[in-house]
Amino acid sequence: MASVVRPTMLRQTCRAAASKRAFSTKLSQAFRPHTKPASALSRQAAQNVFLKDVLPGSMRVAAFHASGRQAILPAEPQVIHGNVNDAASVPTPSPSHGSYHWTFERLLSAALVPLTIAPFASGSLNPMTDAVLCGAILIHSHIGFEAMVTDYIPAKRLPKTKVVFWWGLRAATVLVGVGLYEFETNDVGLTEAIKKIWTA
Amino acid sequence: MAALRTTSRLFAASRPVFRTQVRTMATVNAAQDPAAGPDAKTKTFHIYRWNPDQPSTKPHMQTYTLDLNKTGPMMLDALIRIKNEIDPTLTFRRSCREGICGSCAMNIDGVNTLACLCRIPTDTKQESKIYPLPHTYIVKDVVPDLTHFYQQYKSIKPYLQHSTPAPNGKEYLQSKEDRRKLDGLYECILCACCSTSCPSYWWNSEEYLGPAILLQSYRWLADSRDEKKEERKHALDNSMSMYRCHTILNCSRTCPKGLNPGLAIAEIKKEMAF
Repeated sequence: MASVVRPTMLRQTCRAAASKRAFSTKLSQAFRPHTKPASALSRQAAQNVFLKDVLPGSMRVAAFHASGRQAILPAEPQVIHGNVNDAASVPTPSPSHGSYHWTFERLLSAALVPLTIAPFASGSLNPMTDAVLCGAILIHSHIGFEAMVTDYIPAKRLPKTKVVFWWGLRAATVLVGVGLYEFETNDVGLTEAIKKIWTA
Repeated sequence: MAALRTTSRLFAASRPVFRTQVRTMATVNAAQDPAAGPDAKTKTFHIYRWNPDQPSTKPHMQTYTLDLNKTGPMMLDALIRIKNEIDPTLTFRRSCREGICGSCAMNIDGVNTLACLCRIPTDTKQESKIYPLPHTYIVKDVVPDLTHFYQQYKSIKPYLQHSTPAPNGKEYLQSKEDRRKLDGLYECILCACCSTSCPSYWWNSEEYLGPAILLQSYRWLADSRDEKKEERKHALDNSMSMYRCHTILNCSRTCPKGLNPGLAIAEIKKEMAF
């Protein structure tokens, strides 16, 4: 119930704050909940619930900031290293995480297009192309998830969480790799499975 | 029940504000355009307010109405008129009022832009909302703190690095073709509209340089006279400084000067790829 009521409530208070009436010192008749109750009594009750007509504008706008209470990673106070004339620090170069990584990632992504089309276009199912495709998909998705971990888990702020996600991702990649190997060796294989689902 | 609880909490939370109430109401009374005539084209502006002198008061939106017939065409004209005639406490940066200083960068109707280059939509039914640049620390009202942004700018050494003396002993010359490579790069005024519109910069502004600074990086990489290109590339060759760019292209979309930081970043990536 709470989760149903609250967003409506917040939307209404936000809408109210966004209106110039929110700052009017007059008691506004137009200022009432959007669903108009039938009787005068229930209308008054609703107004008491929302308290809009009795609160001055400066108080009403307090509801404007509805976010923050449940923020996952709320902003911390600002930290400026050095004085305003200092330069920001430059990280130590690491091409394997920079340019080489980017080049490899792009080549792999480009290679995935022909690798995906080839087995279906040629019509022949080769375990080698299957293996290459599976490997490429595995590494491609690993790099993709790795980027997500780097983007969304700041190393400085959540070093332990980052390590957990880091090894979790590696474990997941290994698990998927083993699964794909099993699927390729003991079952029909990836391309054949897609073919079967497609024609099913 | 939850609604009641939330309301009471709001009421309780706003109670300490009670002392400032008189002041706020005085401001509200003046928030109407004093010069509005009978055939006024009245437009409503909602502006983000926060005063560092009252740190416990939450940021809020304050509403002003202006008669567009008596206001200049640009958002900055409206802001200046509000400050001059309605509410002198409204704080914002401005200097050149013609889009060359980059001071008045703010988020107007959901888009980062320069107030001086942004026309006021003449549709008076639409209410305009003015916020500071998103994900910035606020000094006051719509004034953001750009200290870290400037520190990052300094970190890329934004000046010509040339150790061999000029052949003619006077100045470093450049062909017209080489000069043309800088078009679309040198015009950047560092207003920070692009950087603060970039989600990657929102999440990782401490380490990621952001589109504005990377465009400036490319401005020096593309300069035929610069002799420290390898060092410049080396400084970007890590996972955070540049490669947090995921080509979202909010930067190119929002740039009030019509530049393309996304393209500049792509050029750097291409140069560093092989």
